[in-house]
Amino acid sequence: MDLVSPTGTAAIAAKRLAARRSSLVGSRIAVLDNSKPNADALLERVAELLVARTGAASIRVWRKPGASHPAANHDEIAAAADVVLTGSAD
Amino acid sequence: MERRGIPAVVLGTDAFISLGRTASAALGLPHLPAVTVSHPIGGVAAADVRQRADGIVDAVLTALTRDPAPVEAAPVAETVSGPDDLDAFQEFAMAQGWGDGLPVLPATRARVARILGRARPDEAVATLAPRQGIATLEAIAANAALAGAGPEHLPVIVAALRALVHPRFNLFAIQTTTHPWTPLIIVNGPHARRLGISGGPNALGNGSRANAVIGRAVRLVLQNVGGARPRSTDRATQGHPGKFSYCVAENEEASSWEPLSIERGFGRDESTVTVCGSEGPHNVNDHASTSADALLHALVGTAATTGSNNIYLGGEPLVILGPEHAQTIAASGWSKRDFKRAFWERARVPLSAFSGENLARFAVTDPARFRGQPGDTMIHVAKTPDDVMVIVAGGPGKHSAIVPTFGDTRSVTVKIAE
Repeated sequence: MDLVSPTGTAAIAAKRLAARRSSLVGSRIAVLDNSKPNADALLERVAELLVARTGAASIRVWRKPGASHPAANHDEIAAAADVVLTGSAD
Repeated sequence: MERRGIPAVVLGTDAFISLGRTASAALGLPHLPAVTVSHPIGGVAAADVRQRADGIVDAVLTALTRDPAPVEAAPVAETVSGPDDLDAFQEFAMAQGWGDGLPVLPATRARVARILGRARPDEAVATLAPRQGIATLEAIAANAALAGAGPEHLPVIVAALRALVHPRFNLFAIQTTTHPWTPLIIVNGPHARRLGISGGPNALGNGSRANAVIGRAVRLVLQNVGGARPRSTDRATQGHPGKFSYCVAENEEASSWEPLSIERGFGRDESTVTVCGSEGPHNVNDHASTSADALLHALVGTAATTGSNNIYLGGEPLVILGPEHAQTIAASGWSKRDFKRAFWERARVPLSAFSGENLARFAVTDPARFRGQPGDTMIHVAKTPDDVMVIVAGGPGKHSAIVPTFGDTRSVTVKIAE
């Protein structure tokens, strides 16, 4: 029998990712902590290792106001960073 | 960040990264790089978590310096062919991801058309997170058909969905949380009586078709259109039985106070739906108390608990008073507002009742209430008396219920269209 799909369609326009960098030498790393427990420990350690291994220049940390709210300061982060590390969920 | 030209990489745990992928796909970036470590990272020593960084740093570097392979989105069919046999259809519906485990009825063209009546099938009612699915009237009617609802239930289902996408409800976070929530749908006004939505005996339980199919249809829309699929994008650690259906009418006749719809500015002749991001009901048994003041002991003792989302996130805990308890309180001369204030004042626990680790966390997430306070500071289960929600429901007997919420969500009330 013919059935009407209960899923409907989704309002998604496909977007392009930013161009990747050839290396991280001299780059400013932003850490956007999603406020979940220990996300800061993992993200900041990965950033430290990237600095040690790749010659990235700096690390700066931002924190979302709460795990269940989006970050509001995208422009500020984008102006101060060349790459971003962030967390999703737990 | 990607839109601003900044390469980004998402880190998560293997148990939860499906959620990150759904979120990035909903933003139009299904190929956004994600790197995982083993779950969990919460509730373990930070030093252990830092060690796991060694194992993923190469993958993070690759994600920032190499273009990922593109991902093709699968097209969504509007009409699907399924088996004619009703028992075979059950397996088919579950394989399609359409069901909730209970039997569903096929959403045939004829059944969907009957539910829609003269409504426009392509009218978009809401865009539902996390999938950003478009809930057209036809898609809603298809879920209503699966749930066993009729055309008379559609306006209530539609109103609930309009309420759920109000920004105050915070649908994206709540659809994907580990917390056991589901929308509690509270119906006020003439529609509740006309449709036979129960607010009487066993109102939060089984036995009423209208309650069952309205709550179930809304839940299926959230799953099928919103994309909150059990065990993948719906990340509930345990969930609760109300996720099959959770709908109740306020028992307005049995209450001497103004009903919820009047409190929220609607008229007596208007019908409303209120959605709350709710846990299951927890019983409050008091067969002996004869005054409002006495009855509060059991009510606040059941509400003020250290594991509650409301106590650290805020939000609106709901008190569902059984009619006999409501009458006892009103007979003491208390208005609804008096009750809310007294309940708020006494539903609290001392700071020293929380673990040190939890207090350290709460001090960061809510410094105003938790940072640097002495151990005898009392923490209320709601931030203000007005945040306490109260309705009357149920039949004869000496029981009420406390219904905590997700916390980072606010209830929303909308009028049901005639």
